[in-house]
Parts: sequence; structure tokens; C-alpha cells
Amino acid sequence: MAAPMELSCWDGGWGLPSLHPESLTVMAYAKFSGAPVTVNSVNNSWRTLKGDLPVLVSEDVVISQPAKILNFLRKQKYNADYDLSAKQGADTLAYIALLEEKLLPALLHTFWIEAENYCSVTKPWFASRFAFPLSLYLPGKMSREALNRILLTKGGPPLYSLTEVEAQIYRDAKECLNLLSKRLGTSQFFFGDMPTTLDAFVFGFLAPIYKVCFPRVHLQEHLKQLPNLCRFCDDILTRYFRLTVSSHSPAGQDTADANLQKLTQLVNKESNLIEKIQLSLFLCRWMTAFVRVLSIPLVSSQRSNLLQEEKKAVQ
Amino acid sequence: MCNLPVRVICRANAEYMSPSGKVPFIHVGNQVVSELGPIVQFVKAKGHSLSDGLDEVQKAEMKAYMELVNNMLLTAELYLQWCDDVTVEEITHPRYGSPYPWPLNRILSYQKQWEVRRKMKAIGWAGKTLEQVLEDVDQCCHALSQRLGTQPYFFNKHPTELDALVFGHLFTILTTQLITDELSEKVKNYSNLTAFCRRIEQQYFEGHDKDSSAIAARSSKRPLLR
Repeated sequence: MAAPMELSCWDGGWGLPSLHPESLTVMAYAKFSGAPVTVNSVNNSWRTLKGDLPVLVSEDVVISQPAKILNFLRKQKYNADYDLSAKQGADTLAYIALLEEKLLPALLHTFWIEAENYCSVTKPWFASRFAFPLSLYLPGKMSREALNRILLTKGGPPLYSLTEVEAQIYRDAKECLNLLSKRLGTSQFFFGDMPTTLDAFVFGFLAPIYKVCFPRVHLQEHLKQLPNLCRFCDDILTRYFRLTVSSHSPAGQDTADANLQKLTQLVNKESNLIEKIQLSLFLCRWMTAFVRVLSIPLVSSQRSNLLQEEKKAVQ
Repeated sequence: MCNLPVRVICRANAEYMSPSGKVPFIHVGNQVVSELGPIVQFVKAKGHSLSDGLDEVQKAEMKAYMELVNNMLLTAELYLQWCDDVTVEEITHPRYGSPYPWPLNRILSYQKQWEVRRKMKAIGWAGKTLEQVLEDVDQCCHALSQRLGTQPYFFNKHPTELDALVFGHLFTILTTQLITDELSEKVKNYSNLTAFCRRIEQQYFEGHDKDSSAIAARSSKRPLLR
């Protein structure tokens, strides 16, 4: 059989095995095709600095991009597209291009550029997974790269400001979600009953939008209005990743998570306020003590002056 | 394909006249609309559309294939023109700077090259070699060939926006002379695609005098070749 294969990728959260769309795609494909791949969550490697994840290592071969990793797995006889016709294979390529052009910019924006999402969710999550100093440098680098990519590919005239570009990319993303929903219809996967490469890519892009709880969630709300896509994501998670979808409804779980986040933020703010008050009290005490210490010679000189005057008055 | 009366004019400053900085653009009455997507929507709003007969799933497929062509073929064309050093020196710089005097021709073409290379780096194509780009083109042509099959057009008997887009790209690849013929060879491997281009050229362009003389010049050697 094939040599043991090890996949390094970003860690997961919110019920997902990974938060990175490309890592999720590769993990889903490995599950669909039955490839024996062991998954490592990478925290401290300098490879993350180059942004090369996910990476598959098999014996001496190191492969780094999702398309190349999938090709390698197919060559090792782990092929999830075996039953597809040539036309369906062509459709797969076309839909993957649609996802990358229309959905990926909005996904990048939601994670890395939307200020509230970035500051309250993405940056703390990444910073908590990586050690110093990567935790300081890496989130900023990924945010800058995402902004660069969006502005260079979508930001030409007549869209001159970031808000106009944002409006355009979210419109495109919602249209893409609608198209995917129409294409999926009522079937379980995109090409019949067995999942294929296209299902892996769609899952990789949709699952982070579906599951991660952000403060600004208009794309997630649009996705939740397309029940067949939500059912598609939940099915894959329960069947292939053995992660139980929580007993609460997804909406209930999300509101609970959102409330927990708000409470955490409130507690953080209060503790900051208490710290500030304590600091200012400490400073006041210190200033008072300083003033007293300085004023001791002054008081003693005043007293000696008073005593001398009294003596003169007595004499 | 929509039977609309249109006059084609070539101008050196077309990119600057266009509202989005990209060609082509159409000038209709008081309105100026550029790029394929907005032009298609504009024409549709005026009551002419090629894709009205498609159902929802087919429209989704058509949009997906159009993105595939934009993603792979267009990016590969840009890569070959602006990131392959030999082609840049011998063909692109002279061609792009030809309407302008020295030193403006060099400055403008270096500026455009810098912009295109920045974009390639942002989308991850800067690290690709020419062989990898040609392989991507081959994959894209393979997908288009499979989708077209033996039909006259991509969606049954009537042409759609996808046919127009694919024709535009494939015709350009087949008829533009570059340093090597590798790119056009990739397309010529798929006989149904070359037949598709020839069919559209004969059906829709043989009425124009300018194009028919070009077609005659081409067909005197081999069709769709220079």
C-alpha cells in the first residue's frame, strides 16, 4: 500500500476540523477517497510564515497546494472522481473557478478585513494558537495579503473606494451561493450519491462561513436561507468527520456563542476599567506620599520659624 | 450573435477612454459601457439576450464556465504577454508602446508590466513556470472540449454569451503570432474547439469586408493560422 501520508494544516474550532478553506478541502477529499492521511495541526512551524499550508508529506515528497495534493492522491489510487463522466469532470473545474472568483474574496473579507470580525474573532483565535512572536506578526501579514488580493483583483475603476468593492464582492458571493444552491437542488451531493472533488471544494469554502460565529454575519445569514447548502455541510461533518452537530439548532448554538462572546467582551471591559481605577488609586497614594515626604523639611523649617518668632515675642 | 448593428473602431487611447480602464467598451447614445459582463447586462436591459432559453441550472453552468475561461485562459494570456521575459521584450513592449514616442512607449509598457506582475503575485501565479501555465491552459481546453462535445454550441443549437467569450479567447490564441507556437498548439490538440472557432468565424464574421480579407489571407495558408 502507499507510504504513510501526513497532512499539516491549520487548527480547527466551532465544530470544524480546520478553519482554513484549503485545509478543509484537502481533509474532506482525503475522507471521501479513503486516503489514510494523518492530520497534524501546525502551531509553531515557520512554514506557516510562508503561508504554504496545507502541506502533504509522504516519504520524501512534499506537496503544497490543494490542487497538487489532490492530484498526488489520485495518482496514489485514492480517486473520489472515479465514477464521473468527462463532462462532469469539466463541470467540476468550472465550478471550482466560480468559487475562487466569486466566493473567495468575500470569505477573505469576512475573516481578515472586516474590522469587527478581525479584531474580535480572527486575530485572537490565531494569536492564541501561535507562540510569540508569530502571534504578533502572522495575523497582520495574512490580513494585508487578503486586502492586497481583493484590491488588485476586484478594485479597479469604476470602484474607487473599499466600501464599493465590499458591496460588489458580497453581491457576487451571494449570487454564487444562489447558483450553488440551484445546482445542488435536492440531491445529496453535486454529482449524485457519492461525494467528489467538487463537494470537497464547496465544503471547504462554505463550512467556515456557516460555522464560525462572527459579529458581522450577513453572508452567513444569506447562507442560512439556503437550507440545502446547510444540510450539505452538516451531512459531511456528521458522516465524514464524526463531529456531532450540536443538539441545539445551529441558530440557537450561534446565539449562545454570540452571547458568550458579548459577555466575555463585557467582562474584559469591566476588568480593564477596574485595573485602570486601581492604577489611578495607586498613583494618587504614591503622589500623596511623595508630597508628604517633600513637605517634611518645609514643615520643620516653618515650625522653627514660628518658634523663633514666639521667643522674640516673649522677650 | 444578437444581430445588433455595431461599428468597430480602433483607437490607441481606448483604455483611457473606457470608464473602467478596460477594453472593449461600447458607446451608445449618451452611454458608455465597458467589459463583457456590463455590456451583456446593458444589452439584456434593452431586450436582447442570448441566454433567455436556458433553465436555472444551465445558467449556473454557463456562469461557472465563463469564470473558468476568465480564471484560466485570461490569466494565462496575461502571464504569457507580461511575465514571460522573451515574449515581453520581443513582442509586448514594442506592440504596447507603438503608438507613443520614446520615452513614453517604454515608460507606459513598464508601468503596465509592473501592474500585471503585482496582480499575478497576489493570485499566486507569479511562482508558476511557463510549463505549468501551459498545462493549466491544456486542462481548461480539455474541460471546454468535453463540455462542447459534438454539439455546434455549448448549449445546444443556439449560441450564448459563453460561446462568444470562448470564441474571443480561442480565436486570439490561434491567430496571434508569438515567439513559439506552444499555446496555439495546446488549443489545436482539440479538433472540436478549432472547428467551433471556424464555424463562428464563417457564420458571423464573413459579412464584414475587413474581416473577410483577413480570413482570405489566413485561409490561403491554413485556416486560423498565420
